[in-house]
Amino acid sequence: MIYEPLVLGIETSCDETAIGIVRGRTLLANVIASSVEEHARFGGVVPEIASRAHLEAMLPSVQQAVIDAKISLSDIDAVAVTAGPGLVGALLVGVASASGLALGLGKPLYGVNHLAAHVSVDLLTHDLPREPTIALLVSGGHSSLLQVDDITSSVIKLGESMDDAAGEAFDKIARVMGLGFPGGPAIDREAVAGNPKAIDFPRGLTHSNDWQTRPFDFSFSGLKTAVARYLESTPDYVKADVAASFQESIVDVLLLKALAACKKTGIDSLVIAGGVAANSRLRAVAEHRCHEAKIRLRIPAPGLCTDNGAMVAALGSLMVSAGRPASSIDLEATSSLSVSTVSI
Amino acid sequence: MSISLSIDTSTSRTSVAIIDEGALLWHGFRDGATSHGHALPAMVAQALEVQFEIDQVVVGMGPGPYTGLRVGISFARSFALARQIPVIGVCSLDAIATQVREKNDFIIATDARRKEIYWARYFNGERVDAPAVDFPADVALKGVPIFGEGAVKYLLTSDDEVQFPDVVSLVEIAKNPTLQVLQPIYLRRPDAVPTSERTP
Ligand SMILES: [Zn+2]
Repeated sequence: MIYEPLVLGIETSCDETAIGIVRGRTLLANVIASSVEEHARFGGVVPEIASRAHLEAMLPSVQQAVIDAKISLSDIDAVAVTAGPGLVGALLVGVASASGLALGLGKPLYGVNHLAAHVSVDLLTHDLPREPTIALLVSGGHSSLLQVDDITSSVIKLGESMDDAAGEAFDKIARVMGLGFPGGPAIDREAVAGNPKAIDFPRGLTHSNDWQTRPFDFSFSGLKTAVARYLESTPDYVKADVAASFQESIVDVLLLKALAACKKTGIDSLVIAGGVAANSRLRAVAEHRCHEAKIRLRIPAPGLCTDNGAMVAALGSLMVSAGRPASSIDLEATSSLSVSTVSI
Repeated sequence: MSISLSIDTSTSRTSVAIIDEGALLWHGFRDGATSHGHALPAMVAQALEVQFEIDQVVVGMGPGPYTGLRVGISFARSFALARQIPVIGVCSLDAIATQVREKNDFIIATDARRKEIYWARYFNGERVDAPAVDFPADVALKGVPIFGEGAVKYLLTSDDEVQFPDVVSLVEIAKNPTLQVLQPIYLRRPDAVPTSERTP
C-alpha cells in the first residue's frame, strides 16, 4: 500500500490566512480567510492589517479545516508552513502557529517555500508532478521561470521579472482604469468583450538582443507606461479593448519565454502556477501554443492558483513521501527566501 | 489541575515557564527584540522534555511591539488547540507590576518603540489606569515611581531589576477572571501604508 501522509498546511505570506489539509494527493480541506477587502481602499496590502487579520483568523480557520476534512487534529502526520518569501510579520504568525501545533501534537514541522508550493499544488489537480518540468510562476509578487528537476529538492531559477511582477502590472493598470483591486480578475472580466489586437502594446525584453542577454527574464514597466500614455492620449478609449490588448501583451510575453525555456532545456513539460495562472486568456493561449509545440501543459484548477493552504500541505505531503528531513522546530521565517531553497 | 505553560513575548525578552501550582518545573528566557519567533519554540521544546503533560496555557497579551507579541499569542493558541486545553491571556504589564515591592502607587512602562512607552498605573496592587501608549516625558509628569523596560530605556528609573513580565505571576494573574484578556492589546491603529513588497 502507498503511504499517504495526512498533512496540514498553513499559508500566511500575504493577505490570506489559509489552511489546507491533504491526504497523499487528495485534498480534504481548503479554508481561506482573506483580509483583501480591508486592503482594497489602500490599493495594496497593508502589512500590519494583514498580520492582525492572520492572528484573528488562524484558530477558526484551523478548526474549520479539521471539520471540513472530517479528521481529528491528532491524526495529522505532519504540519507544513510557508517559511517565505512574503511579508515577514505575516509569515511569523503562520510559522509560530505551525510550531505551536507541531509541538502540541508532537509531529514534525516542514517550513516550505511559497513559490515551490504554488508549483506543487498541481499534485492535487493532475496527480504526481511530472519531472523534470519548466514552471512559469506568475502572481502579484513574482514572475519567474523555473526549471524543476525535483519539486522537493531541486528548483533552479532561469529568469524573473526585472521590475513589476505580472500580477502587480494587472493591479496597477486596473487602478488607472478604475477597475478596482485586485486587478487580475477585474481585467480578465473586462477583457472578455474586448479585442486583444485593438492596440499593439509593447512586449518587454523580446528584441533580438534581449533573447541573447535576458532570454528568460521579464519586464512589464514599459508596458505599464505605454498603457498609461494611451489612456491619457485617448480620452474616448474603449475599456474592454484596452484591457484585452494589455492582457494579450502580458500573456504573449509569458508564453513566448516559457516555451523558449522548454525548447532550450529540452524539457517537454510546462506547469503554470500562481495567481495569474487563473487568468482565462493565459490558460486558453497556453493550451493552444503548448499543443502546437507538443509540450505537455499542466495548470492547477483555477481555485488552487491563488494563495491557499492546500498548496503548502501538498508540498508538505511530497516532502514526507520523499523522506525529506523535517525542519527545525525553531525555523526562521525568511521574507526573501530564494526559490531554489525549497525547504528550510 | 493544573500544570501551566506560561509564555510572554511582549518585551524584548522571550520568557517560557512550566509551573505546577506555583512550583517552577522549567523556566528560561532569551533576550533580543527580534528573536521571539526563534526563541519561543526552541525553549518550549526544551521545556516539554522536562514536563510533557500540560493542562493550560497562559500567555501575555501585551501591550508590546506587535510582531513579537503575535508570535507568543499565535503559538499559545495553536499549542492549546493541539492539546485540547484552555488558553488564558492576561495583560503583560500586570506581570511586571507583581515584582515591584513596597510601593502602593506606581507605573509600569515597557518600550513601545517610536520613542513612546506602553504604561499602566497601579494602586494598592491593582491596575487603576487602563494600559495606554504615550511619550515618556508625559508619563513622567504623573509624578509617581516608574518601573519596567520602558522606564529603564528612557532613564525614568534607577531600578533595573524590574523590567520584564514574570512568568510565574502570569499564571497567578490568570486565576482572576476579571483580569483575563481575550484579544491582543495593541493600543495603536495599524499604519495604513500599503507595501510594494508583495508576496508571490
Ligand atoms: Zn503566492
